[in-house]
Amino acid sequence: MALFMMRFTVRTERLTTIGGYIAGFALLFLIWHLAATYLVKSTLFPPPLPVLERGWMLIEDGILQEQIIASLKRIAQGFLLGSAIGIPIGLAIGSFKPVRWLLEPWTEFFRFIPAVAMITVSVIWFGIGEESKVFLIAYTTIFVVIISTAAGVGAVGRDKIRAAQCLGANRWQVFGLVALPATVPYILTGMRLAMSNAFVTIVAAELIASNDGLGKMLWDARLFMQIEDIFVALVALGMLGFATDRSFRFLIRAFAGRFNATV
Amino acid sequence: MALVSLQGVGKVFSGRTGAWEAVRDFSLDLAEGEFFCLLGTSGCGKTTVLNMVAGFDAPTAGSILLDGAPVAGPGADRGVVFQGHDSLYDWLTALDNIGFGLRLRGLGKAERRAKAEHFLRKVGLTGQGAKHPSELSGGMKQRIQIARALANDPRMLLMDEPFGALDAMTRAVLQGELSRIWAETKKTVLFITHDIEEACALATRIGVMRRGPGGTLKAIVPVDLPFPRERTSDAFMRVFRDVHGLIHDEIHGAH
Repeated sequence: MALFMMRFTVRTERLTTIGGYIAGFALLFLIWHLAATYLVKSTLFPPPLPVLERGWMLIEDGILQEQIIASLKRIAQGFLLGSAIGIPIGLAIGSFKPVRWLLEPWTEFFRFIPAVAMITVSVIWFGIGEESKVFLIAYTTIFVVIISTAAGVGAVGRDKIRAAQCLGANRWQVFGLVALPATVPYILTGMRLAMSNAFVTIVAAELIASNDGLGKMLWDARLFMQIEDIFVALVALGMLGFATDRSFRFLIRAFAGRFNATV
Repeated sequence: MALVSLQGVGKVFSGRTGAWEAVRDFSLDLAEGEFFCLLGTSGCGKTTVLNMVAGFDAPTAGSILLDGAPVAGPGADRGVVFQGHDSLYDWLTALDNIGFGLRLRGLGKAERRAKAEHFLRKVGLTGQGAKHPSELSGGMKQRIQIARALANDPRMLLMDEPFGALDAMTRAVLQGELSRIWAETKKTVLFITHDIEEACALATRIGVMRRGPGGTLKAIVPVDLPFPRERTSDAFMRVFRDVHGLIHDEIHGAH
């Protein structure tokens, strides 16, 4: 009975959340509509309906999907590469003092050079192909993941490590069976933060140097004054970001909810 | 020969604000199978003594011998039950927490499970093995800690105010269970507490510490009462009064 009630509550909660999201988006579009139609009254600020119509047209022609997939692919590749490099470095910085002394100046130095500032260098090095974009996304991902991972290692409770030691754990067992799993929530949080950075970076990179993607779409639409296309790209970005973040949170809950009740 | 022998042990911590002498000239022999309660006011250095026996801290004076060999760092022969439940692994089930030490030793899954189940039953948590620590109450978490330490079959148990954070009712229940478990397993126990009644209910000997800094043993009181102990009996009250008398001056000087 109690279990049934729990399931019931979880389901209602989920429905309420989804209902809230729909209502929130509806309100956003309503305000947009009101502002565009009655307040601004300019061709430079189209109301949502023509934008959605234009978006639908672009979908039917297969153009919008193409741009979205181009951008998402770069984000996914760079993000995975950046995380794959950042997590071990973060673990090393958090675990070994000499590594911290050696590498912390690096992370503290590079983290203040935004990926956007690296676009020029990256284009010179890698050209305007995929490599430069993947490099930039990886760059913007790495430092957030490193810092968050290192902080996670530092936050592992002293008693957790002591308990393992007096159960007979050696250094490597303490690391692999205690420090690493205890750090997982921090790693995932760092990755989630890095994901929003990746969105910022990909648009900027595609604006400046690219043959496709949502950033390129924005740039072209500006050149040809296709105001609806600009808004289609903006809405698509918002939707993608929202969907990505929600799925990330869902994944964190599914895989790591038990690691930490507060995620 | 004593199982554990502390000889003239001292500990000075040096920090930014200067040196702090936590323990001074502390000598004690623990016999195999006894339940020794180290009783003292807060700041008397009793936890420091336990941390040194556990091997978490090294003494700055004297020596600590276990089976005649000096203690050098923590090891599986001394199981520790911590005061807070922060030592449990949130990402493991209760059963996997209990079996953690067995996993370190490379025991097979089935054997590990059977052993962990055995100790889950021993601490009265049958059927709760699949839960994670976040789903258990404070008292249950301490039971898991005790089971985890016992499952590893150490030479002795070191318990650092394990029931200090629990409500009075739960504490009394767990004290009773610990007494029963000790009677069954005959493990040597070093138990740290500041609760006189707790010490009288559990111990075969009570060591009363002088207040810190530089805490040391003031007196040792043997408790020759049968188990389970009747807390309202005259004999229990007499022991309580004796110990209370010993610690009274320490309490009133400590604040």
